[in-house]
Amino acid sequence: MRRTLPNISLHVVMIIGVLITIFPFVWVAIMGTHSRSDIFSSPPPFYFGDNLLVNYEKLLDVMPFWTVLFNSLFVSVMGTAGAVFFCSMCAYGFFAYDFRGKNIVFGVMIASMMVPPILTIIPSFLTIKFLGILDTHFALWFPGIANAFGIFLIRQYMVNSITRDLLDAAKVDGASDFRIYWSVVLPLIKPALATLAIVMFIGLWNNFLAPLILISTPDKYVLTLALRSVQSVANSPWGAIMLGTFLSMVPLLLAFMFFSKQMMAGLTAGAVKG
Amino acid sequence: MASVELKNLSKSFGDVEVLHQLNLTVAEGEFVALVGPSGCGKSTLLRIIAGLEEASSGDVLMDDKWVNDLTPRERNIAMVFQSYALYPHMTVEENMGFNLRISGLSKLEIKQRVGEAADILDLGELMKRKPSQLSGGQRQRVAMGRALVRNPDTFLFDEPLSNLDAKLRVQMREEIKRLHQKVRTTSIYVTHDQIEAMTLADRVVIMKDGRIQQIGTPTELYQNPANVFVAGFIGSPSMNLLDGKLETKGKTKKVILSDGTKLNVRSNSCPLNDGDVIVGLRPEHLHLAKGKTEKNTLTGTVNLIEPTGAQNHLKISMAGKSLAVADSTLVPLALDETIKVCIAPEQIHVFAK
Ligand SMILES: Nc1ncnc2c1ncn2[C@@H]1O[C@H](COP(=O)(O)OP(=O)(O)O)[C@@H](O)[C@H]1O
Ligand SMILES: [Mg+2]
Repeated sequence: MRRTLPNISLHVVMIIGVLITIFPFVWVAIMGTHSRSDIFSSPPPFYFGDNLLVNYEKLLDVMPFWTVLFNSLFVSVMGTAGAVFFCSMCAYGFFAYDFRGKNIVFGVMIASMMVPPILTIIPSFLTIKFLGILDTHFALWFPGIANAFGIFLIRQYMVNSITRDLLDAAKVDGASDFRIYWSVVLPLIKPALATLAIVMFIGLWNNFLAPLILISTPDKYVLTLALRSVQSVANSPWGAIMLGTFLSMVPLLLAFMFFSKQMMAGLTAGAVKG
Repeated sequence: MASVELKNLSKSFGDVEVLHQLNLTVAEGEFVALVGPSGCGKSTLLRIIAGLEEASSGDVLMDDKWVNDLTPRERNIAMVFQSYALYPHMTVEENMGFNLRISGLSKLEIKQRVGEAADILDLGELMKRKPSQLSGGQRQRVAMGRALVRNPDTFLFDEPLSNLDAKLRVQMREEIKRLHQKVRTTSIYVTHDQIEAMTLADRVVIMKDGRIQQIGTPTELYQNPANVFVAGFIGSPSMNLLDGKLETKGKTKKVILSDGTKLNVRSNSCPLNDGDVIVGLRPEHLHLAKGKTEKNTLTGTVNLIEPTGAQNHLKISMAGKSLAVADSTLVPLALDETIKVCIAPEQIHVFAK
């Protein structure tokens, strides 16, 4: 790489961007090692403190942290796996079959993405109550597993990466509809699946509103809800909360490290098709 | 092996009818080529035979059994696609073995049969590669192998060679022919290239706009084209088609071209009544006239000379029309030279207008 002036300035801009992005995470990590009074001292401490173990004990004291972490993980993994499976299957249906009203159904589905999610809170609460699954994890992950965004994303990817001839070849080879989906289509849309998986996982992991409305038993809390529930106007154990917050980010960081390459491939597919 | 029969087959996409009342019988072990210009419905017809598309009306029979409702697998056909349609994520070996795996054959048996097909097609050292690591010709071979491995009753080919360069195309053409002579499986081969159709097939079916124009052996089609379309389609360079008038005087029949040239035609080869006709003259049947005594001559000026080695392809202007002549005597000619060409009466084709 040549060290030309534009090149250097580009790097400077990017490094500043990275620092700004990373700063809140680092700060959360730092604050997780301080006591409440240190955090509120002025100026705030920009170094790692020695209160980590105390904060950790405090964290376990105010909430069943590992249970709650497991709850979050369970809801996110179930929702992600379900979404990847059902969205891809549904997208395959829209992609591979011609049926009456296909375009109308697809159009309505796309249109449903335009409805602000806030508007659907009350209807979905009522539906979930009617189904008798209030205060269950099932209500958190199940309703979203066949979502319009995922179906749309995967179908568009299929349009670009799978030809009709390929499906026909599989049919001539004697593959059943499910076999074609499983053995031919799924392996070819992996980047789109990875993209959807990470988007779903982040969404479910960070979801706060739905658990707030649907979950009432503290043992069933997920991380977002548990961390929020111990914050009160006065006397919140901030060191413990920050530590819990930092720990709750770790799984996402790990997931991103493993999937980022595939995810980029999925997001830029079509754009760089050659 | 199976015979294939189509009865009154029609196909519409919405309001557009792309196949009209087709009838065709392919005997067991026969190699039939479907040829016609692009968009005439060849692929649609092949897909209906394969069971990938439903006919709008009419019957498809295989071995005299009605198969309209059967899946491609139940019909036991194998198909080679123009785009090859290899599974990009599978190796050559897995591509070829996919249908055997679906049939639930044992690993050992799959390996053995894939190996046999690979030997026939010389794919030995490519088995572990992915399609993206193969050249066009190799992919084509793998696509053939995938069809061959299953021992189908019928082979269907949809323009399998049209993505290859000219040299490879000739080579693969020979290979397909040799393969058919070896396995003798009923084959239906779609192409838009008449030479491919003529060289490969026992019988050729010529289609235009969803209708069969003529069915016959390559020689029959060349010697007795049923209409102007077939006449112009078969043969390379293609037949000269000129406007003319047919006249009968006693036992002799003549055609009079627009510039007044009179040509004798053989009366029994021309069942038409007097009046406006189209006269067909094959370039390779037109010979440069040597002396003044030759009969059935046309006169014109040389307008273009294209040497191809064995023949010189000439374009001759004649009363505003251009006439193609394939000259194998290789006599040197000058541009704008006035020459005479002659043709035997029995080699003149006459079609209704
Ligand atoms: N799925 C389809 N829907 C609508 N029209 C089609 C479809 N498939 C083919 N056609 C039309 O049918 C005609 C014949 O197509 P095709 O069989 O592919 O021709 P060929 O293979 O001889 O080039 C074309 O005019 C094409 O536009
Ligand atoms: Mg075609």
